[in-house]
Amino acid sequence: MDERTSLSRRKLLHTLAGAGVIAAADLAWWDAPFIAPRRAWGAEPVRFQWSVPEPTRIALMNSLVERFNQSQKDFAVQIEYVPQAQARQKLISAITGGSPPDLCQVWDNWVGQFNGMGAVEDITARAKTWKHYADVVPTAWQTVTINSKIISLPLAVTLDGIYYRTDRLKELGLKEPTPDWTWDEFLALSKAFTKADKNQYGYGMRGSGTWALLYPTEFAYANGAEVLKDGKVVINSKEAVDAVAWYLDLALKHKVTPPSAATDGFVEIVETFGRGVTSMYQHNSGSSGQQKKNVGVDKFATLPLPIGPAKKRASFWFSETLTMFKGAKNKEGAWQFMSFMLDDEPSLKYNTTLGLLPARKSILDRPVFSKDPALAGFVQSFPIGIVSPYLAYPGWGGKIDSDGVPLIQQAMLGKVSAKECLDRFAEILKKEMT
Amino acid sequence: MTTLTVAKPRTRPLISWRVRKLLIGYSYLVPAALCMLATVVVPILLAIKMSLYADILYKPQDYRFIGLGNYLRLVEDPVFWLTLRNSVVWVFGSVLLQFLLGFAAALLLQQAFTGRALVRTLTLLPWIIPGVVVGLIWEWLYQPNYGVINDLLIRVGLMQERVAWLSSPDLAMAAVVFTNVWRGIPFFAIMLLAGLQAVPDELYEAAHVDGAGVFARFWHITLPLLRPIIVVATATRIIWTFNYADLIFVMTGGGPANATQITSTYTLLQAYSSLDFGYAGALSVVLLLVMLAFTWLYLRTTKGLEDTE
Repeated sequence: MDERTSLSRRKLLHTLAGAGVIAAADLAWWDAPFIAPRRAWGAEPVRFQWSVPEPTRIALMNSLVERFNQSQKDFAVQIEYVPQAQARQKLISAITGGSPPDLCQVWDNWVGQFNGMGAVEDITARAKTWKHYADVVPTAWQTVTINSKIISLPLAVTLDGIYYRTDRLKELGLKEPTPDWTWDEFLALSKAFTKADKNQYGYGMRGSGTWALLYPTEFAYANGAEVLKDGKVVINSKEAVDAVAWYLDLALKHKVTPPSAATDGFVEIVETFGRGVTSMYQHNSGSSGQQKKNVGVDKFATLPLPIGPAKKRASFWFSETLTMFKGAKNKEGAWQFMSFMLDDEPSLKYNTTLGLLPARKSILDRPVFSKDPALAGFVQSFPIGIVSPYLAYPGWGGKIDSDGVPLIQQAMLGKVSAKECLDRFAEILKKEMT
Repeated sequence: MTTLTVAKPRTRPLISWRVRKLLIGYSYLVPAALCMLATVVVPILLAIKMSLYADILYKPQDYRFIGLGNYLRLVEDPVFWLTLRNSVVWVFGSVLLQFLLGFAAALLLQQAFTGRALVRTLTLLPWIIPGVVVGLIWEWLYQPNYGVINDLLIRVGLMQERVAWLSSPDLAMAAVVFTNVWRGIPFFAIMLLAGLQAVPDELYEAAHVDGAGVFARFWHITLPLLRPIIVVATATRIIWTFNYADLIFVMTGGGPANATQITSTYTLLQAYSSLDFGYAGALSVVLLLVMLAFTWLYLRTTKGLEDTE
């Protein structure tokens, strides 16, 4: 008998076992939807760039993306983490290189530039038919609307307020400031907190980054000044100069700021407050979570910005946005994920974890936000919230960083006067108004 | 019987062996040349082209050829001249001190002592730490309110008040140069140590027998024999430092008030904050020309020194 054609018992068993494995694998493939979400053949994943300033966000976003991916079977969201310091640079390189992600998380002051580059998808039609459209705070919509086009979804909103140490108030026997406090009261408190020989200062002034210029601008608004009026740059008006001079005197004359103020950025103003070097600083609600850990929930509180001589005050409103790019390969998928992030549960989870304020009124009204003393100052600031005037022209955001910040640093160091600083800055802004 | 074989005439090759050998040699270089072309020459040409256009990314409608417009703007830009001056201080301050201290470290490490191998390894530490990490560490050390440097200096009585090292326009550049010196010493130490080990002991012994002192041996033997390494290491380090923006970017961001803004950080700022790629392109081209001019001048001045051996 030809052995090549014979079928031994062993070979038969091997063949049957092999066929069984193939059949089981096949069955598992058919039953895949019952085991794990199945990706539709050919569906493009959604590339989502997320900038990370601290580790909490990674865990949070991983869980939210995973939950979204499990909730539907058509495509997957792939998250790409980028350190926050490089996020803008990477996006610009990706846009100019023609391969931006489908979706990204950015602050609204960048979106204007990206829109100017012609890179951002107009989502007006989708947004206006979205179920939560009417629930989003109108000012939040303003921050993401350019020339009547909605270009992003506001994931979270922020307003600037003043953080202050309640424990140091008690220690020094000082009177608790009230939400309608004035510049004079702010200065008096800053002086009372300052004990330079003990390395303690009243106010953590910011000298680095975009907000180094935005904070004094908010003080200028409290003195009746504006950045743009009737289409003209008026940031060098007398009211603005007087207000900025008063602000700079906190460092130059009253010396209630740390000596490092001219280069202190976000990390430094938050850290010095946490370590007890400063007792007040200006920031949005984004650092409240960190201060709860650093200082303790019962040892600090927040207030709206103080009322200025013009009996006014303003707090600039910013949005953390989800922005879709024109070059997105899966626009429908990107939209589904964007809108998912603003649904009740993800929005609540996101904002409570990071100490931010949600853009939707119905979520914002929940006690977790409205009754939290660490957020009280920001919730009370809603009536004085205005869209940052520097969002008016796409080129202004970049000019603040490249020209405005060095100018305000010079003023903080006494190298130029408030007037000279604002005159030069006004000229720079005028050139970028085309 | 004898058989006569007629010699066949030798066919003359189409290409002579000399040319063929030359062509084979060049063909080996083609892959490397193509890589250089794609990664060095093409980007330089693109940067030159970019510098001749009004290319502000958020104003695509204004994109147009403006010839030397960006270069004329650069000449009138006071911040550019300030950054050029800062670059000179940054580069020469850093490299000179790195060289002197690195040389001293190499001479010490050349001596025989217990634990030399360990010390040599530890000397490399600052060099192997990434630049961004070095920047963050030193920013923390310099921090005026809770940094170690101020704390130590006050404790030992050398200072009465806290100094804002990175926030003072008079001190910031010195502070970042100091950090760069700390980081760069191992580079010179290791390069020069390798050179020192190659100097034959017989030369020192002969000089010693002839009555040459320590300084004379250093001046007439060590220094001349190390010249080739010194020339190459210094030129390389100067070019690196000119382009090295990490430390300044992390520690001061060019501030306060542009006190530490060097041309390479200013170029980054123009490209990625103002999105003015045309102007950033012009700055890059000028930076390239400055470095080419310097390298040419340096190599011309030191011509022949590298052949001392």
